[in-house]
Amino acid sequence: MTIFTLDEVEKTFTNGEIEENILKGISLSLKEGEITALVGTSGSGKSTLLTIAAGLQPASDGEVLFDGNNLTTMSSEQVRKIRAKEFGFVFQFAHLVPFLTVEEQLMLMLEVSESTLSKREQKKEIDQLLNVIGMEHRKNAYPSSLSGGEKQRVAVARAIIHKPKVLFADEPTASLDSKRSKDMMELIRDLTKKMNITTLMVTHDEEMLTYVDRILQMSDGMVLENK
Amino acid sequence: MNIGWKEIKKNKSRFLILGSIIFLVSLLTMIISGLANGLSQDNAALIKDLPEGHFYMSEDAEETYNLSRIDSDVQHEIMNDHQNAVALSIQMGFLIDQEDKQQSVAFVTATDSKLFTQVDEREVIVDRSLKEKGIKVGDLLTNNQLRDELVVKGFVDQKKFSHAPVAYINSEDYKKMYNVEQMQLVFLPGENSAQNFTGLQSYSNKDFLSTIPSYNAEQMSLTMIVSFLIVISGMLFAIFFYMMNIQKIGLYGILKAVGIKTSRLFKMIWTQMLFITIIALALSISLSHAFNSIAPEGMPFHLTFETTTQLSIIFLVVGFIGATLSGLQIRKIEPLRAIQQGED
Ligand SMILES: Nc1ncnc2c1ncn2[C@@H]1O[C@H](COP(=O)(O)OP(=O)(O)O)[C@@H](O)[C@H]1O
Ligand SMILES: [Mg+2]
Repeated sequence: MTIFTLDEVEKTFTNGEIEENILKGISLSLKEGEITALVGTSGSGKSTLLTIAAGLQPASDGEVLFDGNNLTTMSSEQVRKIRAKEFGFVFQFAHLVPFLTVEEQLMLMLEVSESTLSKREQKKEIDQLLNVIGMEHRKNAYPSSLSGGEKQRVAVARAIIHKPKVLFADEPTASLDSKRSKDMMELIRDLTKKMNITTLMVTHDEEMLTYVDRILQMSDGMVLENK
Repeated sequence: MNIGWKEIKKNKSRFLILGSIIFLVSLLTMIISGLANGLSQDNAALIKDLPEGHFYMSEDAEETYNLSRIDSDVQHEIMNDHQNAVALSIQMGFLIDQEDKQQSVAFVTATDSKLFTQVDEREVIVDRSLKEKGIKVGDLLTNNQLRDELVVKGFVDQKKFSHAPVAYINSEDYKKMYNVEQMQLVFLPGENSAQNFTGLQSYSNKDFLSTIPSYNAEQMSLTMIVSFLIVISGMLFAIFFYMMNIQKIGLYGILKAVGIKTSRLFKMIWTQMLFITIIALALSISLSHAFNSIAPEGMPFHLTFETTTQLSIIFLVVGFIGATLSGLQIRKIEPLRAIQQGED
């Protein structure tokens, strides 16, 4: 079942006098529960495409359809709500809140997504997820005392604690070494499969492609299916 | 979850520094306000302690009370129409005590009224500060413009005019001393608006106070210092939160990306500002009032809870504005730019 569709999406940036057409009419759909990787050379527009899909910046033309909603015509407040409740984000860096403990980072995300769970149930959910990512012993640690790999695992937990429908990940393993990158990909794959989360992930690490269901190649503002 | 509070807990020293500065600035402001109020009390308690009302001087006096002469017909007319009206005169002068020492005083005489102490002829009632100068009840005081001696009948508390202790005398003695028949001023307490009397100009209590030459000069400079301190504290908040926000642009961008409302980030700043200000103010209020009660006798320091409450409200409003101004940059943060930036 298709949950996410981009239809003829275009993006043009104007740098002073020069107009740069970064995305030249991109159409693609994501199937529920599938992990799709977006690959391509640096500067080919992968991040631009991902952020437009995630409602973080508007498209110049075309439509972004998610679960029956047209993000392109919604107000920014409506898009914010969808981002808070239905989307999860992982980036190259963990970007954790420096003054919140691991547990509090996840609590905050549950709150932002307007979770209907009671405080006790929320804590239970958090404990379970921390257990899965092997971080339950660091529950009360602040980000400054975590290693790079641990931070990224907490970032993944923060991205999915509220059970989003779609996970957007922009080079989530780029700051990790090879061994940790593989652990990270396994973790993302395990969790999204278990929770039936649809994933769109940007990467330029060939090794990571073994963990994905589908690969899209970006070049010159267009996407090509890559079998 | 109160993220503002969490941040304070994690970064105690940073907030402690801001809190201490706000505490010191607000304490200084309150001390100076106490001084301003004390000085004004020391200068003109006679007028300051009167109920709200209006003073009337003759128009040709050009705002100088001792040039004013109230026409006796006009005075009688006013006194007949207004039961609580009082006519009074004030002149700076000297009393010579039994040891031949000159004491400068403000002679005050008034028609029958509860607002001004009434004295019989050849008697005088003086401000208690003269007691410390060695004057006792029963002493005979002289004045070179008066042939008779004046007997000290008693003391009154906190009656000062133009920094001199008040000496209440009878209007007959006053007339002899200054060779005038008319009174200088009429005071009508409790009137909501100034009345129109022919040849007279009206002054609210405050306006009348500022016709005392030293009063205005003193109060203006102190009020200016107080206003500067308040502006400085507002700027401190703005600058502090601006610096904090600059460091957190990346964080705010991420939080916005994951769906936190901008209003929530504002609430975070406001909580922090409120928390710091309330603690700082509580400390400076208690310290300045403690100082009020231990200030040495001769020091003109007088701080009321009304003043500290007013100042506290001003501080809260100014802090709020400062924090909010610095927060305006949060609204402009694009989640995207933050994501593309590196870690911290
Ligand atoms: N906000 C922007 N303004 C102008 N140009 C931009 C902006 N964002 C991205 N670009 C340009 O678009 C191109 C694609 O960028 P990006 O999507 O980040 O590529 P990738 O993620 O594939 O490396 C780059 O040439 C970049 O300079
Ligand atoms: Mg990129």
